[in-house]
Amino acid sequence: MVALDPTTLMNILYIAISGTLVCIAVHFIPVGGAPAAMAQATGIGTGTVELAAGSGLVGLITASYMYSIPSVQQDPNVMALVLAAGAMGSMIMLASTMLTGSLIYAYGVGVPFASAQVKKDPITGARQDLYMSKGTQGQGLPTICFVSGIIGAALGGIGGALIYYVLVGIYAKSAIIGGSAAAVAGVFTMGVFYVNSVVPSYGVGGTIEGFHDPKFRRVLPKDAVTSFVVSALCGILAILIGGGF
Amino acid sequence: MSEIKEIPANTLMAFGIVGGLLGIYLTYILSVAGDAAGGPVKEFLTTIAPAAGALGGMCAIVWGAEAVRRVAKYGLGTGVPSIGQIALGMGIIAAMFGLAIVKELTLAGPIVALVTASVIGLIIGWFAQNVIKMKIPVMIRCMTEIAAAGSLIIIGFSAAISGTFEFSKLISTVFDNGFILAVFWVGAMAMLHPFNACLGPDEKQKRLLYLAASTGAITMAVIGIAAIMTLGASGVVTLLLGIVLWLIFYKLFWDEVYKDAAAVVGTGLIPKTEA
Repeated sequence: MVALDPTTLMNILYIAISGTLVCIAVHFIPVGGAPAAMAQATGIGTGTVELAAGSGLVGLITASYMYSIPSVQQDPNVMALVLAAGAMGSMIMLASTMLTGSLIYAYGVGVPFASAQVKKDPITGARQDLYMSKGTQGQGLPTICFVSGIIGAALGGIGGALIYYVLVGIYAKSAIIGGSAAAVAGVFTMGVFYVNSVVPSYGVGGTIEGFHDPKFRRVLPKDAVTSFVVSALCGILAILIGGGF
Repeated sequence: MSEIKEIPANTLMAFGIVGGLLGIYLTYILSVAGDAAGGPVKEFLTTIAPAAGALGGMCAIVWGAEAVRRVAKYGLGTGVPSIGQIALGMGIIAAMFGLAIVKELTLAGPIVALVTASVIGLIIGWFAQNVIKMKIPVMIRCMTEIAAAGSLIIIGFSAAISGTFEFSKLISTVFDNGFILAVFWVGAMAMLHPFNACLGPDEKQKRLLYLAASTGAITMAVIGIAAIMTLGASGVVTLLLGIVLWLIFYKLFWDEVYKDAAAVVGTGLIPKTEA
Protein backbone atom coordinates (compact mmCIF):
# COMPACT_ATOMS: atom_id res chain seq x y z
CA MET A 1 0.00 0.00 0.00
CA VAL A 2 1.53 3.23 -1.20
CA ALA A 3 1.00 6.51 0.61
CA LEU A 4 -1.84 8.71 -0.48
CA ASP A 5 -0.75 10.82 -3.40
CA PRO A 6 -2.49 14.03 -4.45
CA THR A 7 -3.87 12.49 -7.65
CA THR A 8 -5.68 9.77 -5.72
CA LEU A 9 -7.12 12.30 -3.31
CA MET A 10 -8.12 14.45 -6.25
CA ASN A 11 -9.89 11.50 -7.87
CA ILE A 12 -11.82 10.70 -4.69
CA LEU A 13 -12.79 14.33 -4.46
CA TYR A 14 -13.92 14.31 -8.10
CA ILE A 15 -16.17 11.33 -7.46
CA ALA A 16 -17.56 12.93 -4.30
CA ILE A 17 -18.26 16.14 -6.22
CA SER A 18 -19.90 14.30 -9.09
CA GLY A 19 -22.14 12.38 -6.71
CA THR A 20 -23.13 15.66 -5.12
CA LEU A 21 -23.81 17.13 -8.58
CA VAL A 22 -26.16 14.25 -9.33
CA CYS A 23 -27.85 14.86 -6.00
CA ILE A 24 -28.26 18.58 -6.70
CA ALA A 25 -29.53 17.74 -10.20
CA VAL A 26 -32.41 15.75 -8.74
CA HIS A 27 -33.65 18.85 -6.95
CA PHE A 28 -33.82 20.80 -10.20
CA ILE A 29 -35.86 18.26 -12.08
CA PRO A 30 -39.62 18.83 -11.85
CA VAL A 31 -40.85 15.52 -10.51
CA GLY A 32 -44.50 15.04 -9.81
CA GLY A 33 -44.66 11.37 -9.04
CA ALA A 34 -48.02 9.62 -8.99
CA PRO A 35 -50.08 12.83 -8.47
CA ALA A 36 -48.56 14.34 -11.61
CA ALA A 37 -49.39 11.20 -13.53
CA MET A 38 -53.02 12.08 -12.79
CA ALA A 39 -52.32 15.75 -13.67
CA GLN A 40 -52.89 16.77 -10.05
CA ALA A 41 -49.41 18.12 -9.38
CA THR A 42 -46.85 20.05 -11.37
CA GLY A 43 -44.07 18.07 -12.97
CA ILE A 44 -43.49 14.94 -14.94
CA GLY A 45 -45.61 12.02 -13.87
CA THR A 46 -42.96 9.61 -12.70
CA GLY A 47 -40.53 9.10 -9.85
CA THR A 48 -37.42 11.13 -9.10
CA VAL A 49 -35.16 8.17 -9.52
CA GLU A 50 -36.56 7.18 -12.89
CA LEU A 51 -36.08 10.69 -14.27
CA ALA A 52 -32.68 11.38 -12.77
CA ALA A 53 -31.34 7.97 -13.64
CA GLY A 54 -32.93 8.01 -17.10
CA SER A 55 -31.39 11.30 -18.09
CA GLY A 56 -28.14 10.55 -16.26
CA LEU A 57 -27.65 7.23 -17.97
CA VAL A 58 -28.19 8.79 -21.40
CA GLY A 59 -25.58 11.32 -20.38
CA LEU A 60 -23.31 8.44 -19.44
CA ILE A 61 -23.75 6.89 -22.88
CA THR A 62 -22.96 10.13 -24.72
CA ALA A 63 -20.01 10.84 -22.43
CA SER A 64 -18.54 7.37 -22.85
CA TYR A 65 -19.00 7.58 -26.60
CA MET A 66 -17.17 10.88 -26.64
CA TYR A 67 -14.38 9.37 -24.56
CA SER A 68 -14.08 6.38 -26.89
CA ILE A 69 -13.09 8.56 -29.86
CA PRO A 70 -9.28 8.27 -30.14
CA SER A 71 -8.69 11.88 -31.23
CA VAL A 72 -10.66 13.11 -28.22
CA GLN A 73 -8.44 11.13 -25.86
CA GLN A 74 -5.41 12.93 -27.29
CA ASP A 75 -7.06 16.32 -26.91
CA PRO A 76 -5.79 18.45 -24.01
CA ASN A 77 -9.38 19.41 -23.20
CA VAL A 78 -10.58 15.83 -23.05
CA MET A 79 -12.28 16.27 -19.67
CA ALA A 80 -14.28 19.28 -20.79
CA LEU A 81 -15.36 17.48 -23.97
CA VAL A 82 -16.51 14.41 -22.07
CA LEU A 83 -18.39 16.46 -19.49
CA ALA A 84 -20.04 18.55 -22.22
CA ALA A 85 -21.10 15.43 -24.07
CA GLY A 86 -22.61 14.03 -20.86
CA ALA A 87 -24.47 17.25 -20.18
CA MET A 88 -25.81 17.41 -23.75
CA GLY A 89 -27.04 13.83 -23.70
CA SER A 90 -28.84 14.33 -20.41
CA MET A 91 -30.37 17.60 -21.48
CA ILE A 92 -31.67 16.19 -24.75
CA MET A 93 -33.13 13.20 -22.96
CA LEU A 94 -34.90 15.22 -20.30
CA ALA A 95 -36.03 17.92 -22.73
CA SER A 96 -37.65 15.34 -24.97
CA THR A 97 -39.28 13.67 -21.98
CA MET A 98 -40.67 16.98 -20.79
CA LEU A 99 -41.78 17.99 -24.28
CA THR A 100 -43.64 14.72 -24.85
CA GLY A 101 -45.11 14.92 -21.36
CA SER A 102 -46.25 18.48 -22.04
CA LEU A 103 -47.89 17.48 -25.31
CA ILE A 104 -49.83 14.79 -23.49
CA TYR A 105 -50.80 17.11 -20.62
CA ALA A 106 -51.90 19.86 -23.00
CA TYR A 107 -53.64 17.93 -25.75
CA GLY A 108 -54.37 14.59 -24.14
CA VAL A 109 -55.36 15.42 -20.57
CA GLY A 110 -56.27 18.98 -21.46
CA VAL A 111 -54.94 20.92 -18.49
CA PRO A 112 -53.49 24.45 -18.45
CA PHE A 113 -49.94 24.46 -17.12
CA ALA A 114 -49.70 26.08 -13.73
CA SER A 115 -47.29 26.01 -10.82
CA ALA A 116 -48.63 25.77 -7.29
CA GLN A 117 -45.52 27.18 -5.66
CA VAL A 118 -45.23 30.62 -7.25
CA LYS A 119 -47.84 33.23 -8.03
CA LYS A 120 -46.11 34.40 -11.19
CA ASP A 121 -43.78 32.44 -13.38
CA PRO A 122 -40.38 34.05 -12.68
CA ILE A 123 -39.40 33.73 -16.35
CA THR A 124 -42.51 34.57 -18.34
CA GLY A 125 -44.25 36.58 -15.64
CA ALA A 126 -47.53 34.80 -16.36
CA ARG A 127 -50.06 34.44 -13.54
CA GLN A 128 -50.19 30.89 -12.23
CA ASP A 129 -52.83 30.80 -9.52
CA LEU A 130 -55.67 31.65 -11.92
CA TYR A 131 -55.15 28.47 -13.87
CA MET A 132 -54.79 26.09 -10.99
CA SER A 133 -57.66 23.64 -10.66
CA LYS A 134 -59.18 23.38 -7.21
CA GLY A 135 -57.77 20.65 -5.01
CA THR A 136 -54.65 20.14 -7.10
CA GLN A 137 -51.02 21.09 -6.66
CA GLY A 138 -50.78 22.61 -10.12
CA GLN A 139 -50.61 20.78 -13.42
CA GLY A 140 -48.31 20.23 -16.34
CA LEU A 141 -44.93 21.80 -16.87
CA PRO A 142 -44.82 25.63 -16.77
CA THR A 143 -41.82 27.35 -18.38
CA ILE A 144 -39.96 27.71 -15.10
CA CYS A 145 -40.17 23.97 -14.46
CA PHE A 146 -38.96 23.20 -17.96
CA VAL A 147 -35.96 25.49 -17.58
CA SER A 148 -35.21 24.11 -14.13
CA GLY A 149 -35.38 20.59 -15.51
CA ILE A 150 -32.90 21.40 -18.26
CA ILE A 151 -30.45 22.86 -15.73
CA GLY A 152 -30.88 19.76 -13.56
CA ALA A 153 -30.27 17.44 -16.47
CA ALA A 154 -27.09 19.30 -17.36
CA LEU A 155 -25.78 18.98 -13.80
CA GLY A 156 -26.72 15.30 -13.66
CA GLY A 157 -25.04 14.63 -16.99
CA ILE A 158 -21.88 16.41 -15.89
CA GLY A 159 -21.91 14.45 -12.62
CA GLY A 160 -22.30 11.10 -14.33
CA ALA A 161 -19.71 11.93 -16.98
CA LEU A 162 -17.20 13.06 -14.37
CA ILE A 163 -17.40 9.79 -12.40
CA TYR A 164 -17.03 7.87 -15.63
CA TYR A 165 -14.13 9.98 -16.81
CA VAL A 166 -12.23 9.59 -13.55
CA LEU A 167 -12.85 5.86 -13.23
CA VAL A 168 -12.11 4.93 -16.83
CA GLY A 169 -8.76 6.66 -16.45
CA ILE A 170 -7.93 4.73 -13.28
CA TYR A 171 -9.18 1.35 -14.49
CA ALA A 172 -7.38 1.54 -17.83
CA LYS A 173 -4.12 1.40 -15.85
CA SER A 174 -5.27 -1.48 -13.65
CA ALA A 175 -3.73 -4.89 -14.26
CA ILE A 176 -6.89 -6.96 -13.74
CA ILE A 177 -9.39 -4.67 -15.43
CA GLY A 178 -7.26 -3.18 -18.20
CA GLY A 179 -9.09 -3.58 -21.49
CA SER A 180 -12.52 -3.71 -19.89
CA ALA A 181 -12.11 -0.34 -18.18
CA ALA A 182 -15.09 1.16 -20.00
CA ALA A 183 -17.49 -1.59 -18.92
CA VAL A 184 -16.38 -1.66 -15.29
CA ALA A 185 -16.30 2.13 -14.99
CA GLY A 186 -19.74 2.36 -16.60
CA VAL A 187 -21.29 -0.15 -14.21
CA PHE A 188 -19.71 1.47 -11.17
CA THR A 189 -20.92 4.88 -12.33
CA MET A 190 -24.40 3.45 -12.65
CA GLY A 191 -24.24 2.21 -9.06
CA VAL A 192 -23.08 5.58 -7.72
CA PHE A 193 -25.71 7.28 -9.86
CA TYR A 194 -28.56 5.23 -8.45
CA VAL A 195 -27.47 5.76 -4.88
CA ASN A 196 -27.19 9.49 -5.44
CA SER A 197 -30.52 9.82 -7.16
CA VAL A 198 -32.43 7.89 -4.50
CA VAL A 199 -30.88 9.64 -1.48
CA PRO A 200 -32.13 13.14 -2.46
CA SER A 201 -35.46 11.75 -3.59
CA TYR A 202 -36.03 10.73 0.03
CA GLY A 203 -35.14 14.27 1.00
CA VAL A 204 -37.62 15.89 -1.38
CA GLY A 205 -40.22 13.32 -0.44
CA GLY A 206 -41.24 12.37 -3.92
CA THR A 207 -42.25 15.67 -5.53
CA ILE A 208 -40.47 18.92 -6.27
CA GLU A 209 -41.15 21.58 -8.88
CA GLY A 210 -37.67 22.93 -9.46
CA PHE A 211 -35.41 25.62 -8.08
CA HIS A 212 -38.33 27.98 -7.43
CA ASP A 213 -39.95 25.50 -5.05
CA PRO A 214 -39.50 26.48 -1.36
CA LYS A 215 -38.64 22.85 -0.72
CA PHE A 216 -35.52 23.32 -2.83
CA ARG A 217 -33.79 25.55 -0.31
CA ARG A 218 -35.05 23.58 2.65
CA VAL A 219 -33.78 20.14 1.67
CA LEU A 220 -30.85 20.82 -0.65
CA PRO A 221 -28.13 21.36 2.00
CA LYS A 222 -28.76 18.18 4.00
CA ASP A 223 -29.19 16.07 0.87
CA ALA A 224 -25.99 17.47 -0.58
CA VAL A 225 -24.04 16.69 2.60
CA THR A 226 -25.36 13.13 2.60
CA SER A 227 -24.50 12.63 -1.05
CA PHE A 228 -21.03 14.09 -0.61
CA VAL A 229 -20.15 11.72 2.23
CA VAL A 230 -21.67 8.69 0.54
CA SER A 231 -20.02 9.47 -2.80
CA ALA A 232 -16.65 10.04 -1.17
CA LEU A 233 -16.96 6.57 0.35
CA CYS A 234 -17.90 5.20 -3.07
CA GLY A 235 -14.89 7.00 -4.52
CA ILE A 236 -12.54 5.30 -2.06
CA LEU A 237 -14.04 1.91 -2.90
CA ALA A 238 -13.83 2.66 -6.63
CA ILE A 239 -10.13 3.44 -6.42
CA LEU A 240 -9.45 0.35 -4.32
CA ILE A 241 -11.18 -1.78 -6.98
CA GLY A 242 -8.58 -0.62 -9.47
CA GLY A 243 -5.90 -1.79 -7.03
CA GLY A 244 -5.08 1.83 -6.27
CA PHE A 245 -3.47 3.77 -3.39
CA MET B 1 -55.07 -8.70 12.62
CA SER B 2 -52.00 -9.28 14.76
CA GLU B 3 -53.11 -12.88 15.22
CA ILE B 4 -51.41 -13.90 11.99
CA LYS B 5 -48.06 -15.45 12.74
CA GLU B 6 -45.29 -13.92 10.71
CA ILE B 7 -41.86 -15.30 10.12
CA PRO B 8 -39.52 -13.13 12.26
CA ALA B 9 -37.22 -10.73 10.42
CA ASN B 10 -34.15 -12.35 11.96
CA THR B 11 -35.08 -15.78 10.65
CA LEU B 12 -35.47 -14.43 7.14
CA MET B 13 -32.22 -12.53 7.48
CA ALA B 14 -30.43 -15.72 8.49
CA PHE B 15 -32.12 -17.51 5.59
CA GLY B 16 -30.94 -14.85 3.16
CA ILE B 17 -27.36 -14.68 4.40
CA VAL B 18 -26.82 -18.40 4.90
CA GLY B 19 -28.75 -19.44 1.80
CA GLY B 20 -27.18 -16.72 -0.31
CA LEU B 21 -23.62 -17.44 0.73
CA LEU B 22 -24.17 -21.20 0.60
CA GLY B 23 -25.45 -20.95 -2.97
CA ILE B 24 -22.58 -18.73 -4.02
CA TYR B 25 -19.95 -20.95 -2.41
CA LEU B 26 -21.57 -24.09 -3.81
CA THR B 27 -20.70 -22.89 -7.31
CA TYR B 28 -17.09 -23.16 -6.20
CA ILE B 29 -17.36 -26.26 -3.98
CA LEU B 30 -19.31 -28.30 -6.53
CA SER B 31 -16.82 -27.65 -9.29
CA VAL B 32 -13.88 -28.44 -6.97
CA ALA B 33 -15.63 -31.61 -5.82
CA GLY B 34 -16.25 -32.47 -9.45
CA ASP B 35 -12.57 -32.03 -10.27
CA ALA B 36 -11.68 -34.34 -7.40
CA ALA B 37 -14.17 -37.02 -8.42
CA GLY B 38 -13.40 -36.99 -12.13
CA GLY B 39 -15.25 -38.89 -14.85
CA PRO B 40 -18.99 -38.47 -15.42
CA VAL B 41 -19.46 -37.17 -11.87
CA LYS B 42 -17.21 -34.27 -12.72
CA GLU B 43 -19.25 -33.44 -15.78
CA PHE B 44 -22.47 -33.58 -13.79
CA LEU B 45 -21.22 -31.50 -10.88
CA THR B 46 -19.59 -28.81 -12.98
CA THR B 47 -22.75 -28.52 -15.07
CA ILE B 48 -25.05 -27.97 -12.11
CA ALA B 49 -22.61 -25.82 -10.11
CA PRO B 50 -23.56 -22.40 -11.58
CA ALA B 51 -27.27 -22.99 -10.90
CA ALA B 52 -26.42 -23.03 -7.18
CA GLY B 53 -25.33 -19.39 -7.45
CA ALA B 54 -28.72 -18.46 -8.85
CA LEU B 55 -30.43 -20.35 -5.99
CA GLY B 56 -28.32 -18.31 -3.57
CA GLY B 57 -29.46 -15.15 -5.35
CA MET B 58 -33.04 -16.33 -4.94
CA CYS B 59 -32.61 -16.67 -1.17
CA ALA B 60 -31.22 -13.14 -1.08
CA ILE B 61 -34.22 -11.88 -3.08
CA VAL B 62 -36.65 -13.37 -0.55
CA TRP B 63 -34.71 -11.73 2.27
CA GLY B 64 -34.47 -8.41 0.42
CA ALA B 65 -38.17 -8.40 -0.39
CA GLU B 66 -38.97 -8.86 3.29
CA ALA B 67 -36.64 -5.99 4.23
CA VAL B 68 -38.23 -3.79 1.55
CA ARG B 69 -41.61 -4.73 2.98
CA ARG B 70 -40.69 -3.63 6.47
CA VAL B 71 -39.22 -0.28 5.45
CA ALA B 72 -41.61 0.61 2.64
CA LYS B 73 -44.63 0.01 4.91
CA TYR B 74 -43.91 3.41 6.42
CA GLY B 75 -44.38 5.14 3.09
CA LEU B 76 -41.22 6.47 1.51
CA GLY B 77 -42.86 9.20 -0.53
CA THR B 78 -40.96 8.12 -3.61
CA GLY B 79 -42.51 4.78 -4.35
CA VAL B 80 -41.24 1.33 -3.60
CA PRO B 81 -39.11 1.02 -6.78
CA SER B 82 -36.65 3.62 -5.48
CA ILE B 83 -35.61 1.38 -2.62
CA GLY B 84 -35.01 -1.55 -4.94
CA GLN B 85 -32.82 0.62 -7.10
CA ILE B 86 -30.76 2.02 -4.24
CA ALA B 87 -30.39 -1.53 -2.90
CA LEU B 88 -28.85 -2.80 -6.09
CA GLY B 89 -26.90 0.45 -6.53
CA MET B 90 -25.25 -0.09 -3.15
CA GLY B 91 -25.05 -3.81 -3.80
CA ILE B 92 -23.20 -3.47 -7.08
CA ILE B 93 -20.64 -1.07 -5.61
CA ALA B 94 -20.02 -3.39 -2.68
CA ALA B 95 -19.98 -6.52 -4.81
CA MET B 96 -17.40 -5.10 -7.22
CA PHE B 97 -15.29 -3.86 -4.35
CA GLY B 98 -15.52 -7.08 -2.35
CA LEU B 99 -14.67 -9.34 -5.25
CA ALA B 100 -11.88 -7.12 -6.56
CA ILE B 101 -10.12 -6.23 -3.32
CA VAL B 102 -9.42 -9.79 -2.21
CA LYS B 103 -7.19 -10.46 -5.25
CA GLU B 104 -5.91 -14.06 -4.89
CA LEU B 105 -8.09 -14.88 -1.87
CA THR B 106 -11.09 -15.36 -4.15
CA LEU B 107 -13.03 -17.28 -1.52
CA ALA B 108 -13.18 -14.30 0.83
CA GLY B 109 -14.78 -12.13 -1.89
CA PRO B 110 -18.50 -12.68 -1.22
CA ILE B 111 -18.08 -12.19 2.53
CA VAL B 112 -16.06 -9.00 2.08
CA ALA B 113 -18.74 -7.78 -0.34
CA LEU B 114 -21.49 -8.61 2.15
CA VAL B 115 -19.72 -6.73 4.93
CA THR B 116 -18.96 -3.75 2.67
CA ALA B 117 -22.57 -3.59 1.53
CA SER B 118 -23.75 -3.65 5.13
CA VAL B 119 -21.41 -0.78 5.99
CA ILE B 120 -22.58 1.31 3.01
CA GLY B 121 -26.19 0.52 3.87
CA LEU B 122 -25.61 1.43 7.49
CA ILE B 123 -24.08 4.78 6.57
CA ILE B 124 -26.83 5.65 4.07
CA GLY B 125 -29.47 4.49 6.55
CA TRP B 126 -27.93 6.60 9.29
CA PHE B 127 -27.87 9.67 7.04
CA ALA B 128 -31.43 9.05 5.87
CA GLN B 129 -32.58 8.82 9.46
CA ASN B 130 -30.51 11.54 11.11
CA VAL B 131 -29.61 14.04 8.40
CA ILE B 132 -32.48 13.81 5.92
CA LYS B 133 -34.74 13.00 8.90
CA MET B 134 -37.05 10.48 7.37
CA LYS B 135 -38.43 9.42 10.74
CA ILE B 136 -38.67 5.75 9.90
CA PRO B 137 -37.58 3.74 12.95
CA VAL B 138 -36.48 0.67 10.97
CA MET B 139 -34.64 2.73 8.34
CA ILE B 140 -31.07 2.01 9.46
CA ARG B 141 -31.57 -1.69 9.94
CA CYS B 142 -33.54 -2.17 6.74
CA MET B 143 -31.15 -0.10 4.63
CA THR B 144 -28.30 -2.29 5.90
CA GLU B 145 -30.28 -5.42 5.11
CA ILE B 146 -31.33 -4.42 1.61
CA ALA B 147 -27.81 -3.35 0.69
CA ALA B 148 -26.44 -6.67 1.89
CA ALA B 149 -29.17 -8.56 0.06
CA GLY B 150 -28.43 -6.49 -3.05
CA SER B 151 -24.77 -7.48 -3.00
CA LEU B 152 -25.65 -11.17 -2.61
CA ILE B 153 -28.12 -10.91 -5.50
CA ILE B 154 -25.46 -9.40 -7.75
CA ILE B 155 -22.80 -11.96 -6.81
CA GLY B 156 -25.19 -14.92 -6.89
CA PHE B 157 -26.57 -14.24 -10.34
CA SER B 158 -23.21 -13.13 -11.72
CA ALA B 159 -21.76 -16.43 -10.51
CA ALA B 160 -24.62 -18.23 -12.24
CA ILE B 161 -23.70 -16.56 -15.53
CA SER B 162 -19.96 -16.85 -15.19
CA GLY B 163 -19.63 -20.09 -13.22
CA THR B 164 -17.26 -18.44 -10.77
CA PHE B 165 -17.05 -15.35 -8.61
CA GLU B 166 -13.47 -14.53 -9.44
CA PHE B 167 -13.39 -10.84 -10.39
CA SER B 168 -11.09 -11.18 -13.39
CA LYS B 169 -13.35 -13.89 -14.89
CA LEU B 170 -16.49 -11.91 -14.10
CA ILE B 171 -15.11 -8.97 -16.06
CA SER B 172 -14.88 -10.96 -19.26
CA THR B 173 -18.09 -12.97 -18.86
CA VAL B 174 -20.48 -10.59 -17.12
CA PHE B 175 -19.20 -7.03 -17.48
CA ASP B 176 -17.83 -6.93 -21.01
CA ASN B 177 -20.96 -8.33 -22.63
CA GLY B 178 -23.31 -6.21 -20.54
CA PHE B 179 -25.05 -9.07 -18.74
CA ILE B 180 -24.39 -7.19 -15.52
CA LEU B 181 -27.15 -4.78 -16.55
CA ALA B 182 -29.60 -7.67 -16.75
CA VAL B 183 -28.43 -8.88 -13.34
CA PHE B 184 -28.82 -5.37 -11.96
CA TRP B 185 -32.24 -4.64 -13.35
CA VAL B 186 -33.90 -8.01 -13.15
CA GLY B 187 -32.49 -8.42 -9.64
CA ALA B 188 -33.82 -5.01 -8.59
CA MET B 189 -37.22 -5.78 -10.08
CA ALA B 190 -37.37 -9.13 -8.33
CA MET B 191 -36.63 -7.50 -5.00
CA LEU B 192 -38.92 -4.47 -5.24
CA HIS B 193 -41.84 -6.02 -7.10
CA PRO B 194 -43.25 -8.24 -4.33
CA PHE B 195 -44.04 -5.41 -1.96
CA ASN B 196 -44.96 -3.05 -4.78
CA ALA B 197 -47.54 -5.57 -5.94
CA CYS B 198 -48.84 -6.67 -2.55
CA LEU B 199 -48.86 -3.41 -0.59
CA GLY B 200 -52.00 -2.15 1.00
CA PRO B 201 -54.01 -2.73 4.16
CA ASP B 202 -54.54 -6.37 3.23
CA GLU B 203 -50.85 -7.12 2.72
CA LYS B 204 -49.74 -10.45 4.21
CA GLN B 205 -46.21 -11.70 4.69
CA LYS B 206 -46.84 -15.22 3.44
CA ARG B 207 -48.30 -14.06 0.16
CA LEU B 208 -45.46 -11.60 -0.34
CA LEU B 209 -42.78 -14.19 0.35
CA TYR B 210 -44.28 -16.62 -2.16
CA LEU B 211 -44.35 -13.83 -4.72
CA ALA B 212 -40.74 -12.96 -3.86
CA ALA B 213 -39.72 -16.57 -4.40
CA SER B 214 -41.53 -16.58 -7.72
CA THR B 215 -39.90 -13.35 -8.92
CA GLY B 216 -36.59 -14.81 -7.77
CA ALA B 217 -37.26 -17.91 -9.80
CA ILE B 218 -38.18 -15.98 -12.94
CA THR B 219 -34.98 -13.96 -12.47
CA MET B 220 -33.14 -17.26 -12.34
CA ALA B 221 -34.76 -18.24 -15.64
CA VAL B 222 -33.71 -14.94 -17.27
CA ILE B 223 -30.19 -15.38 -15.91
CA GLY B 224 -30.31 -18.93 -17.30
CA ILE B 225 -30.79 -17.51 -20.79
CA ALA B 226 -27.73 -15.31 -20.29
CA ALA B 227 -25.80 -18.28 -18.91
CA ILE B 228 -26.60 -20.37 -22.00
CA MET B 229 -24.64 -17.79 -23.98
CA THR B 230 -21.62 -17.96 -21.67
CA LEU B 231 -21.63 -21.50 -20.25
CA GLY B 232 -23.85 -23.56 -22.55
CA ALA B 233 -25.25 -26.64 -20.80
CA SER B 234 -25.06 -25.13 -17.30
CA GLY B 235 -27.27 -22.31 -18.49
CA VAL B 236 -29.92 -24.78 -19.56
CA VAL B 237 -29.92 -26.24 -16.04
CA THR B 238 -30.37 -22.76 -14.55
CA LEU B 239 -33.09 -21.90 -17.05
CA LEU B 240 -35.10 -25.10 -16.54
CA LEU B 241 -34.73 -25.06 -12.76
CA GLY B 242 -35.81 -21.42 -12.77
CA ILE B 243 -38.93 -22.18 -14.81
CA VAL B 244 -39.88 -25.16 -12.62
CA LEU B 245 -39.40 -23.15 -9.42
CA TRP B 246 -41.34 -20.27 -10.91
CA LEU B 247 -44.29 -22.51 -11.71
CA ILE B 248 -44.25 -23.95 -8.18
CA PHE B 249 -44.00 -20.64 -6.36
CA TYR B 250 -46.36 -18.82 -8.65
CA LYS B 251 -48.96 -21.52 -7.98
CA LEU B 252 -48.39 -21.13 -4.22
CA PHE B 253 -48.75 -17.35 -4.56
CA TRP B 254 -51.88 -17.83 -6.65
CA ASP B 255 -53.41 -20.11 -3.99
CA GLU B 256 -52.55 -17.58 -1.32
CA VAL B 257 -54.25 -14.80 -3.29
CA TYR B 258 -57.40 -16.92 -3.55
CA LYS B 259 -57.26 -17.72 0.16
CA ASP B 260 -56.88 -14.05 1.15
CA ALA B 261 -59.55 -12.75 -1.19
CA ALA B 262 -62.98 -12.26 0.36
CA ALA B 263 -64.54 -14.08 -2.55
CA VAL B 264 -63.61 -14.94 -6.09
CA VAL B 265 -66.68 -14.77 -8.27
CA GLY B 266 -67.32 -14.62 -11.97
CA THR B 267 -69.45 -11.56 -12.60
CA GLY B 268 -69.84 -11.93 -16.35
CA LEU B 269 -70.00 -8.93 -18.60
CA ILE B 270 -71.37 -5.62 -17.40
CA PRO B 271 -75.10 -5.73 -18.17
CA LYS B 272 -76.35 -3.22 -20.70
CA THR B 273 -78.59 -0.68 -19.05
CA GLU B 274 -80.78 1.88 -20.66
CA ALA B 275 -80.09 5.58 -20.38
